[in-house]
Amino acid sequence: MTDVKIDIQPDMTTEVTATERADVRSYLRQWAMPHVLCPGCAHGIVLRSFLEAVDQLQLDQDKIAMVAGIGCSSRLAGYVDFCTLHGTHGRAPAFATGLKLARPDLNVVVVTGDGDGLAIGGNHLIHAARRNIDMTVLLLNNSIYGMTGGQAAPTTPEGAIASTAPQGHIEPGFDACKLLMGAGASYVARVFAANPIEMTKVMMDGLSHPGFAFIELVSDCPEYFGRYNKIGGGPEMLNWIAVRDEGIAGPLSEKRFVEHIPVKPPAIGVKSGVLQREIRPVYAGVRAAEGQHT
Amino acid sequence: MSDNSKGLLLAGVGGQGVILASMIIADALMRAGFDVKQSEVHGMAQRGGSVVSHIRWGKEVASPLVEKGSAEVLAAFEWAEAIRWVDYVRNEGAVVTDIKTIVPPGACNDTHAWSTAYPRFEIDLFRSRLIETRFVDATANAVQLGNVRAANSVILGSVAAFVGIDLIHWEEAIASLVPKGTEEINLAAFHAGMNAPMAQIPAPPAEPAEYLGPHLIDIQQDWCKSCDICPRVCPEHCLKLDTDGTLLVINADACTGCRLCEMLCPDFAITIRPPAAAEHHEPAISGRKM
Ligand code: SF4
Ligand code: SF4
Ligand code: SF4
Repeated sequence: MTDVKIDIQPDMTTEVTATERADVRSYLRQWAMPHVLCPGCAHGIVLRSFLEAVDQLQLDQDKIAMVAGIGCSSRLAGYVDFCTLHGTHGRAPAFATGLKLARPDLNVVVVTGDGDGLAIGGNHLIHAARRNIDMTVLLLNNSIYGMTGGQAAPTTPEGAIASTAPQGHIEPGFDACKLLMGAGASYVARVFAANPIEMTKVMMDGLSHPGFAFIELVSDCPEYFGRYNKIGGGPEMLNWIAVRDEGIAGPLSEKRFVEHIPVKPPAIGVKSGVLQREIRPVYAGVRAAEGQHT
Repeated sequence: MSDNSKGLLLAGVGGQGVILASMIIADALMRAGFDVKQSEVHGMAQRGGSVVSHIRWGKEVASPLVEKGSAEVLAAFEWAEAIRWVDYVRNEGAVVTDIKTIVPPGACNDTHAWSTAYPRFEIDLFRSRLIETRFVDATANAVQLGNVRAANSVILGSVAAFVGIDLIHWEEAIASLVPKGTEEINLAAFHAGMNAPMAQIPAPPAEPAEYLGPHLIDIQQDWCKSCDICPRVCPEHCLKLDTDGTLLVINADACTGCRLCEMLCPDFAITIRPPAAAEHHEPAISGRKM
């Protein structure tokens, strides 16, 4: 990745909210709350940032279609008061493709995890990217299969403990952003769940991007990854991912936690920010221009 | 200053280009035949902290540090920095300041209403010490020329009047130090700064201006999963988990409304309300019926 271009610079001196903020809880299905995620799981922080982005962009709740597969991250679709579709494992991008072609007026958002999106459904993801279908994919990467009990995922870092890798994982992990850049995604970004303001900004950016927008959200799993690797619970895991951030907000997040939390095992740093942005023809848009669909 | 040298101070906020500007001044002074020493402090620069650069020039300069009350001129790239460093200016000296305001995140009492302790613009502020205050709208000048990044050269142009060296030295220094390809615009900005009229002082922000009290920390206990994130992130130590896992507000008066706890709670269990809204706060969330 030589031509990495980070053009989102979170402005540290102002707040993200320019307009009056709504209570983002009003975007939740009240009857379904509290959600099923484990205490301290950063997936909830990601969801909150997403709702803030929706609120900031003043998107119509009934025009957002959130499509999910299977997994802890995919559970998020069950709690938002938008149009939601809970599909089969890994197939969210395929459902979303069909949905977008049939209903181009909808704002299609796929919420998926690293196992769901990169292993079980890796194929669907890269082809949706290649076609440049106009959708936003939120891939919550917690480096493990959480819902099914902590098995090693394609993103589990080498050496990390998982239930299927009790001695430490022997394979190298996956770089989801590089994969999607290779597949031709017209927008690729990575943000860390420990930086909610930056997350909201990038999600607003991704939601506004015409074409396939892929956002990797570095999230965590205190329940399995944190426990197996003896990192700790919610706060410790959040700190663990915060120190991996080699983007603009990196030095800030280092100081976020008031008490010093030791970092072990060593966290591997990754770049954050917008890694790829290009404008190219959108699949549904080409068809619309040819008058081929209703 | 015993060695008859003169001093100049540049102050700004991390990322504003203070260091480059001070290199240009030092270079221009050297081209004018002076011995120049320059030193800077920029510890917190990356986080938007204060950056200050000292320059001294004369026949022979021993130390780069400008003593308090001895600088000929203070060039501030931001208003609060002008006030922060004005002690260094000698009586009857000068302050050239941009009318930009950058409110440091830590200085807010209230990040929603901007009711901060940020100082107001005041033309008479330094009058008792006969300091000449010159407000420059560097950003507007630079934007007019087509590149906002040339704002620093506008300030340099306004500073030049108080340094008293030939124009040619400034022009050469700028041309040799600014990034390649931006020489022309920076020179134009410098000239604009020399001739810039006194900028209109922006009006103070409208209501609410004063500190309205601490924010209201609204905890939805039945959603809280006692994960301990919020107590660990609150910079003001407002929150604490009880031994039975109940989240307690232990220091309500200290809450600044930074919303870190709210944004980092995975369970939507905390909502921070500004003090004005806190008065008539409605606990019910207006979700839609299913
Ligand atoms: S299993 Fe892991 S990823 Fe899933 S909800 Fe629990 S902590 Fe989060
Ligand atoms: S908003 Fe939350 S984190 Fe910030 S000071 Fe108040 S209680 Fe603490
Ligand atoms: S972050 Fe949220 S869930 Fe965790 S202890 Fe605080 S209020 Fe409870």
